[in-house]
Amino acid sequence: MNSKRFFLIFMLLLVVSTASLGGALSNIRSAVEESSDFIFLKLFTTSGTTIYSFATFMAFLGPLAGITLGFDAVSNERSQGTLNRLAAQPIYRDSIINAKFLAGSTVIFLTVFMLGIYVSGMGLLMIGIPPSVEEVLRVFTFLLLTWVYISFWLALAIIFSVVCKHAATAALVTMSIWLFLSLFMSLVASTLANLLFPTSGIAGFANLSSNYTATLALNRVSPYYLFSEAATTILNPNVRSIGVVTMSQLSGAIAGSLPFSQSLLLVWPHLVLMIALVIAGFAIAYIAFMKQEIRA
Amino acid sequence: MKHFSQKRILALLLSAALLWMMTVTAVAAGGLEMSTDYPGITAKAGDDLTYSLDFYNGSGAGASVSLSASNLPEGWEGYFTGSGNTISRVYVRAGDNPSLATFNLKIPEDAEQGTYTVTLDAVGSGMSSSLELELVLDEIEVGEGGLTTQYAQQEGSADTSFTFSTTLTNNSALEQTYSLSANAPTGWMVSFKPSGESTQVAAITVDSRGSQALNVTVSPPVGIEAGEYTIPISAISSSENLSSELTVVITGSYELNLSTPSGRLSFDATANKESAITLSVTNNGNVDLQNINLTSSAPTDWTVTFSESSIDVLEAGATKEVTAYITPAKDAMSGDYVTVLTASNSETTDTAEFRVSVKTETIWGVVGILIIVAALCALGYVFRKYGRR
Repeated sequence: MNSKRFFLIFMLLLVVSTASLGGALSNIRSAVEESSDFIFLKLFTTSGTTIYSFATFMAFLGPLAGITLGFDAVSNERSQGTLNRLAAQPIYRDSIINAKFLAGSTVIFLTVFMLGIYVSGMGLLMIGIPPSVEEVLRVFTFLLLTWVYISFWLALAIIFSVVCKHAATAALVTMSIWLFLSLFMSLVASTLANLLFPTSGIAGFANLSSNYTATLALNRVSPYYLFSEAATTILNPNVRSIGVVTMSQLSGAIAGSLPFSQSLLLVWPHLVLMIALVIAGFAIAYIAFMKQEIRA
Repeated sequence: MKHFSQKRILALLLSAALLWMMTVTAVAAGGLEMSTDYPGITAKAGDDLTYSLDFYNGSGAGASVSLSASNLPEGWEGYFTGSGNTISRVYVRAGDNPSLATFNLKIPEDAEQGTYTVTLDAVGSGMSSSLELELVLDEIEVGEGGLTTQYAQQEGSADTSFTFSTTLTNNSALEQTYSLSANAPTGWMVSFKPSGESTQVAAITVDSRGSQALNVTVSPPVGIEAGEYTIPISAISSSENLSSELTVVITGSYELNLSTPSGRLSFDATANKESAITLSVTNNGNVDLQNINLTSSAPTDWTVTFSESSIDVLEAGATKEVTAYITPAKDAMSGDYVTVLTASNSETTDTAEFRVSVKTETIWGVVGILIIVAALCALGYVFRKYGRR
């Protein structure tokens, strides 16, 4: 917590949050003109003219915090030779990896909630409209979701810190995965989908739907996409469906916001998948660490 | 001689008598003559009559003549006028004097039926003339009031308030107070208002020989059936009993109302699961409705069925409950959809728009929790297998 690295990443997130809040506040007037429901939630989803919204920043920069906290968790101890001494202490070996993960996760939890409450508080001060119970629930769920999401990246970073000998390798590998999943996955998804279901020509019309479905399915491989989708649904009650919406589904539908429980049910698979990913990631890191020879 | 003289005396007497008679006529003929064109008139009690009096002065010289009326029955009033003034004497120039004076006669209201004679006398300058005026009081119309309505038969729908313009006439010689009433069937509302006023009255006073316009407002009861209804109205005074009949023809109105017993037009449903909604079909018209069909306009792939898709007969005012079973499409999104249900027959129709909130089944939430529990179990297994070393 006192490390310079954590301080840096925390300051980065804080500055980014403040900037996104400023952007949201500058544009919230026009956003409210469109629809005046759930103004408080708009603090998190409205983007400024030159800056992303809080939710987008969390989706993009949040992983960086997880990676920063985890990429050298084990390899640093090993390279500094402290891992041997630690293992020599009368503690169970799994306590070390458990502690590494739990500590990181707790720090992430604190950071995320601190930022969320900071944005809420500042926003409340600025717009002067108190949130309804449902809005509070939605923001809370969103922050929990962010925590799980960043924890996934922490688990991933810890895996590589266990597997890789050098911290730099671990950092590079996790960062490249982060960049790939965040930036290039959508390109890869659409390319693959176009390859599988070409949309050109007459036959293309028949493929349109399956092409889109395939793109969506491939995109969802990326936790970044999963998180973005879930965050949008949770923070925008008007989102009624994730995925392909056919015309027949739209017939007779009337605009209206979903109750919180229904929004939660919509993103429940996402949440479940992300929690499962965190558990799986941690389990892999755990097994890898436990099977590792550390006395060398 | 005696015989002769007797005969002479007789003849003398006769001739004297004749001469006297002739003299009288001669005086009359040669003197004043008062006349009017129509000495015999049929009138009613309460009438004001005027007689235009013509004078003929045969004496060759003008004379001032005093006028008087005699034989006037009690309560009757007669006077002479000329040039707008009441006069007692008239100057009759020699020769014809047409329309020189006017005799005004006021017959009292309570004058009884019969034949009356009024004598007018003109006396002056040794001349006199008398004129007998005969009056027949025809009292057939007197005392017989009337209650008449301009349009006594009106037509309208069941919720119309009918207004009849009725005139109450008092033909009697006395001011009368009539109490107004209507013998309407149960549920009907009848009110009397003097024309141009908003006060509802139960009794009204009408001047003698006067009339009063009344607005009679008739409101049929709720749920009245189509048909013809007669509403007798009456105006009763101490001496008269006037009555009239108003006829109202209620035309058939067809009105159907489709709703739910609670009036709530929204409900929750789950995708691909049947929801039952109780509908109430009410016939708000006044005619029985036949063959009411229930139809629906639902989003694509939704199914709507009814416990009975058609109602053979729905009596006026009756309500029938029908259950609709609505199944949202398998891939319906969470959130609100509109489903329109329609009840219609050949005469009328009504629709009810339902807001259907489609909910996702929570079973998937449970499945998700099970997956997490399974993942945690796997983690526990990992702990067990590799932990505590």
